[in-house]
Amino acid sequence: MAMKALDIYKLLPKTNCKKCGFPTCLAFAMKLASGKVDVDLCPDLDEQTRELLGGATRPPIRLVAIGAGERSFTVGEEFVLYRHERTFYHQPGLMMQVADTWPEERIEGVVARVRDETFHRVGEDLSVDGIAFRWESGDADRFGGVVGTVEACASVPEVIIADDPEAQAAALAHCGNFQPLIHAACADTAEAMCDLARKYGCALAVRAGDLEELKRLVGLCRDRGVENLMLDPAPATLRDFLARSVEIRRRAVERTDPDLGYPVVFDTVPLGLPDAATALGILKYAGVIIIDELGPASTMAALTLRQNIYTDPQKPIQVTPGLYPVNAPTGSAPVLMTVNFSLTYFTLLGYLEAAGIPCYLFIVDTEGMSVLTAVAGGKLTETLVADAIKTTELENRVDHRVLIIPGYAAPLSGKIEEETGWEVRVGPGDAAEIGEYLETGWEA
Amino acid sequence: MSEEHNPEPGNRILEVRLGATKAEGGTRERVYTVGGAGTFPFLGAGPAAGHPPRIALEICDDTRTWSPIVLREVGDLAEDTGAWAAAAETTFGADMVRLSFTSTRQRGFDDFASLGTTVEEVIGATKYPLIVEGSTEPAIDSEVYRRIGEAAEGERVLLGTAEADRYRSVAASALAYGHAVVAQTPIDINLAKQLNILLHETALPPERIVIDPYTGTLGYGFEYSYSVMERIRSVALQGDADLARPMISSAIDSLNVKEVREADPETADEVAIRWEFYAAFSALIAGAEIVCVRHPGTVALLREALRALLEGSHPQEEAYGDESA
Repeated sequence: MAMKALDIYKLLPKTNCKKCGFPTCLAFAMKLASGKVDVDLCPDLDEQTRELLGGATRPPIRLVAIGAGERSFTVGEEFVLYRHERTFYHQPGLMMQVADTWPEERIEGVVARVRDETFHRVGEDLSVDGIAFRWESGDADRFGGVVGTVEACASVPEVIIADDPEAQAAALAHCGNFQPLIHAACADTAEAMCDLARKYGCALAVRAGDLEELKRLVGLCRDRGVENLMLDPAPATLRDFLARSVEIRRRAVERTDPDLGYPVVFDTVPLGLPDAATALGILKYAGVIIIDELGPASTMAALTLRQNIYTDPQKPIQVTPGLYPVNAPTGSAPVLMTVNFSLTYFTLLGYLEAAGIPCYLFIVDTEGMSVLTAVAGGKLTETLVADAIKTTELENRVDHRVLIIPGYAAPLSGKIEEETGWEVRVGPGDAAEIGEYLETGWEA
Repeated sequence: MSEEHNPEPGNRILEVRLGATKAEGGTRERVYTVGGAGTFPFLGAGPAAGHPPRIALEICDDTRTWSPIVLREVGDLAEDTGAWAAAAETTFGADMVRLSFTSTRQRGFDDFASLGTTVEEVIGATKYPLIVEGSTEPAIDSEVYRRIGEAAEGERVLLGTAEADRYRSVAASALAYGHAVVAQTPIDINLAKQLNILLHETALPPERIVIDPYTGTLGYGFEYSYSVMERIRSVALQGDADLARPMISSAIDSLNVKEVREADPETADEVAIRWEFYAAFSALIAGAEIVCVRHPGTVALLREALRALLEGSHPQEEAYGDESA
């Protein structure tokens, strides 16, 4: 089970020697409890304590790397079941499949998309992470040939899906040095698959529908020297995946079943329902998601969902304060003040763009708080607004002196007028009404 | 916070009944119970699984602000609210219609008589339970909710939307005419709880409240909504009775975002459907019992997904829609 900081502290030397890099043993204990440092930083622990603390404080899910080079990624090292408990750290890799029975052009099409397609959203480039090769032909040489051909034109992370060690060997002969994920070993093939994983230093997925069987396979592979493992719970339905993946994550983070402390791989293709399965994998703990040829609309939605879910909820998302022109405004355009909470900003921006009215969005720094919270918490004040007018040189940007403030900031309207000398109008409380407000109610 | 992982045995989300049959004083051929679960979504079986979630298709009485993509898809139906509502059930396969009185959002709206007429028209055209959304302007709330509530008397509709600073008109109408209420708060678990307590003081019974924690659109703050739904379900199962209510989720801005609005006309439907689907599906996983969408194509996609999530947990009929009384 996970340990609390005080329980950890009791086992530390309590000398405050600072050799771990922290000012006190208690500070070190708190870092350990949150899983942010390794117990080995303390040089003065006996073997038994080190082992005990390590087991209780190391990340409950092993970090596993897939692929080599620029686009390689890592999954695992997660600590919680719900993102509101802390955050999720390592977003799942989306691996688009190709089958060795497909015509060459179809394979090339998918490979080109994975290699080249990116979507730009809120300062990030989003793309599918790699390719999953599925062995369908029953012919190991053919499989190897396909992998070799793709290997020559795309250097992206890969999953090799073949339950036959010979087919795996044929594929790995072409790509083994680039650390693909080997998928997947079962009881009969574990030995041979482990030999391949060791030979190439690749991660290996084990596959079984029953958690006890998964644990047995994990034990088998570890005994044969393979530590970088992933778990495929072999779901037949979305419901199976949800139940098994949640149970695996629960037992791992509660540290009741260390043998389940590995990231999960979700092969969505056999289930059909590509959108639902991909979304479920993103939401419920998959580390690698093998997807079918999703269309561009689905891909963009899936990547956006992943970006949302893997956003750190501990940090309010902020936009940079300043003056943002919307719909090419001129000097007579209205100035709309609001806060730098990104949800507020994007919602308002969406409505303003939809309304097509030229205006300036004037964003003041409330440290990412919403209007309501910022007003209540005293973060949004008349001096803040006055200072922002100066730093943005608002007076030189527009030829009027009218400021529209959010409906929820109405209590501050008088104070802002006094402090800034600008005429203040109170806008609607709901961004959805801003278009109509500007059309009917505003004149400088 | 690992204690949150394991619900206290016996805690359940309150059940809310929607719709009334002839025997109950209404005219619905189907009625639904939502809520009832004692586990996180789709993990329970038997009684602990609660009732299956429902998919609502949103329509409106004034299409000027409605997404052009949806208007193109539904064609002439948009001009005939009753026919649009009927198609939502029969052609598009929704579990229920959510009728939004967008006409009341116009400045200086005063055609109150039209509200009652439209409600009656939609009731006449449909057979399943209804959700009806009134005004957002406190000055006309009282009249709007009275007219809507009265016209739907006996049908046990879900009436929206109560907010912290304007809930009395909605609650009064629900009490007078026997409806349930949507209680919306802006993505905050404490505010959600407070509003439920305020509504309780109006004498509205708790089993007539559905929580709307507000759903931001995919890519635009959706993660806050997802997590607040997970938290509400989590503390409800820990025993917080004020939050143990079913939730409704509607990412109403989905079709207004840049990604959808600026999509190539040839792929606009695909993009609109996916943008709605990913948010609505995720809301189901986070604990929403009613999800609302506007593009008819999203309904079918959600239906398939819901089937796969419910497989084996509910008797066939109930899972797929019918729960006739």
